[in-house]
Amino acid sequence: MLPPFWTLVETHGDELLVHARRLSGDAAEDVLQDALLRALRAYPKLRHAEHLRAWLYRVTTTTAIDHHRRVRREVLVDEPPVVASFDTHDDDFEGLIASLNDTAQAALRLRFVDDLDYDGIAERLGCSVVAARQRVSSAVRTLRESYA
Amino acid sequence: MSPLPNSLLESVAAAAVREGLADALFTRLSTPIGRLLVVSGPEGVVRIAFEEDPEDVALAQVASVLGPRIVGTDRELATERDALSAYFEGGESYSLPVDLRLAHAPFRRAVLDELRAVPSGKTVSYGELAARAGNPKAARAVGTACALNPVPVVVPCHRVLPSTGRLGSYAGGPERKATLLELEGLISPRP
Repeated sequence: MLPPFWTLVETHGDELLVHARRLSGDAAEDVLQDALLRALRAYPKLRHAEHLRAWLYRVTTTTAIDHHRRVRREVLVDEPPVVASFDTHDDDFEGLIASLNDTAQAALRLRFVDDLDYDGIAERLGCSVVAARQRVSSAVRTLRESYA
Repeated sequence: MSPLPNSLLESVAAAAVREGLADALFTRLSTPIGRLLVVSGPEGVVRIAFEEDPEDVALAQVASVLGPRIVGTDRELATERDALSAYFEGGESYSLPVDLRLAHAPFRRAVLDELRAVPSGKTVSYGELAARAGNPKAARAVGTACALNPVPVVVPCHRVLPSTGRLGSYAGGPERKATLLELEGLISPRP
């Protein structure tokens, strides 16, 4: 049976905030707030009660990535184009994924920047749908571990 | 590691309530009988636990009946907190909706239902309460119903006294029972 949701929040909340801060800097609290709501929405649909801490890290990572995309899009719309600076700055999606190998970076860009589904990603990468899914999830996992 | 700011948690709780995502809410309240865990579902207060009751067990009990989306918040339970605080300050009666779903047996639920009608400042004997619940011979079962009351204080099992004139037992211990009865002016304050 799933434990009460808030027990997880009170047990892991502090470390999740540290994780969110590494991924999103000053936006960490907004990111974590969104992530906890996302997690709460999905919670009753989880099929098993294992690896809940890892699951919360994953939801936080995904939320941080979405947040970066949204901010980037807003910047592109609201302001005259700036030269993209792909340094390793915390607030930048490219900076966030710079440490990954090329395959992993490509998978994440197709998934989170181009917003493709796994069929689309598979087509672009010339691999099977299962492989596309694995590449994205293992890239997210590597990212999570490197920031944990 | 910096702790999670309370404002963040309250924002999550407020959004969860707004979106109808919470199966139950809980808060912790400091009172003269120690810290209470107060859990409220869509139909009312469903569980109150004393300080020494393990919180995770109490919350898991609620989760098993109402669902696992249980959220902690002081702000969204302000009504319940205020009502209980006012009671603890002056023995004032209050009416909070109650959900007796954690009292599983029908007779136990009937006993607690009858007990809710006993106001602050009044008492009832085990035998009398058994009669009101429909079985005058079941005074012992009334004792069990009180001992297993999932919402003590709000469903006032502290107002059930043995006909011997003594205080009798209480799930939260005799000290707490005495404090609550003092608060309601039913026994004189101890030195």
